[in-house]
Amino acid sequence: MLTIIYGDAENSIYNTSVYFKNTYEPEWLESELAKKMIKDVDNSDVLSGECINSPVLGQIPPERLSGGVKTLLLMLNESDKIFNASTCGDNCAKWILEIAKQKDLTINLRHMMSFGRDTAFEIRVENGGEIVHSMRELVPIANQYLNEMEQE
Amino acid sequence: MKGAHRIIVESKKVKYDFTIKRNITILTGNSGSGKTVLIELIRDYRRYGSDSGVFLSCDRECRTIDNEDWERQISETSNSIIFIDEGNRFLRSRKFADLLQKSDNYFVIATREKLPMLPYSVNEIYGFRQSGKFHNAKQKYNEIYHLYGEISEERMIVPEYVLTEDSNSGYEFFRELSKERNITCISANGKSNIISCLQKMERKKGTCLVIVDGSAFGSEMRDISEYLNDVDHIILYAPESFEWLLLSTDMIPNVRVTHILEQPEEYIDSKEYVSWERFFTSLLVSKTQGNPLWAYSKKKLPDMYLSSKILNAVKVQMKLIVWNS
Repeated sequence: MLTIIYGDAENSIYNTSVYFKNTYEPEWLESELAKKMIKDVDNSDVLSGECINSPVLGQIPPERLSGGVKTLLLMLNESDKIFNASTCGDNCAKWILEIAKQKDLTINLRHMMSFGRDTAFEIRVENGGEIVHSMRELVPIANQYLNEMEQE
Repeated sequence: MKGAHRIIVESKKVKYDFTIKRNITILTGNSGSGKTVLIELIRDYRRYGSDSGVFLSCDRECRTIDNEDWERQISETSNSIIFIDEGNRFLRSRKFADLLQKSDNYFVIATREKLPMLPYSVNEIYGFRQSGKFHNAKQKYNEIYHLYGEISEERMIVPEYVLTEDSNSGYEFFRELSKERNITCISANGKSNIISCLQKMERKKGTCLVIVDGSAFGSEMRDISEYLNDVDHIILYAPESFEWLLLSTDMIPNVRVTHILEQPEEYIDSKEYVSWERFFTSLLVSKTQGNPLWAYSKKKLPDMYLSSKILNAVKVQMKLIVWNS
């Protein structure tokens, strides 16, 4: 199941790109789900655990994948940790739901991510314990908690 | 800093060409659309110049800033365009908001994070569209005559109730306009209360017109547009500001500012005004001060602004909205 913490989340990893650069393992890229996500979000093909073929940038190392894909790979492989999913665009949302079907996943959101206008889902909002099933239910709740986010 | 500035950044594989015209521009959108690549190219150019293999053209210096030593870097930079990528926690800090407010630089920030302490405009939120090598910056939220929601040129909007972000002069004005239609006008008392107010009014029937100051509403736009996705009876009207709307009528005695309204960026100094909303307020106040009938105040609207002459002129400015019964 997917759990979201809106706003500040203790012990969450904020800069997922830096964390990915220092922790990823080549075999993370070789799973079927990883290849599908990389193809869908970055329009790129995995050539090996250390090399991806991007139509724009040519052959690149995993560090140069988009911030969103790097965060998805972290969620997939270190699901016991809480990552800042505001590094993910809306084109990552369906993959977050997909990962959460396979394992319990908690993410931190600092913006209103769209999980799809017509998508049915089950998401628990950690801040107040609400369970929501659509964007119509989620938006007012997320808006409330995002507005409570404090300035540092 | 004033004015519009075109930025071209090019490497062998990618090219960006876009223009910015306010102190804060937000880059957002899908993952993989090229925001970080742009900032990396600017960083390379800044470090190595033409040795970087990057071509950069702009009439102002472009530079990047990240977590390390950001306060000093911003304080010591002047008359430049500063690019900041996501992953920098300081974007949410009070210190950053304070520094930005006093800065004569323009800031281009790649982030999806909600940053209500930064008064950025609904018009300056961009996403990149990629076509081969080219990345074109496209406004994120589409509007017609400052209207957002289920709108088209052919559909007139007949409000059955009105919700304003403003609680002072703007609210007083739209309450008067609403009285003419015999409809309710409510103040949300601030931009962050709009969705909770709409929730409370969910059972009301008919079209709701939400009126906000577009030039400082950027941080709320993502939430509101997601909310509007699920309803067709709520329309958002986001002109630059209420004062901009009054100035646009060209009906206030001895206030002729059409030339400014046509190209505000040429007149608004980012160091003096953190948002265009503040500039238009200041402009209206300064142009009317000394006139006992028309001296504008944001707190309390002078009666002259509720005269039929001004009410009717504003109605004309608010295209596609039907105010007459």
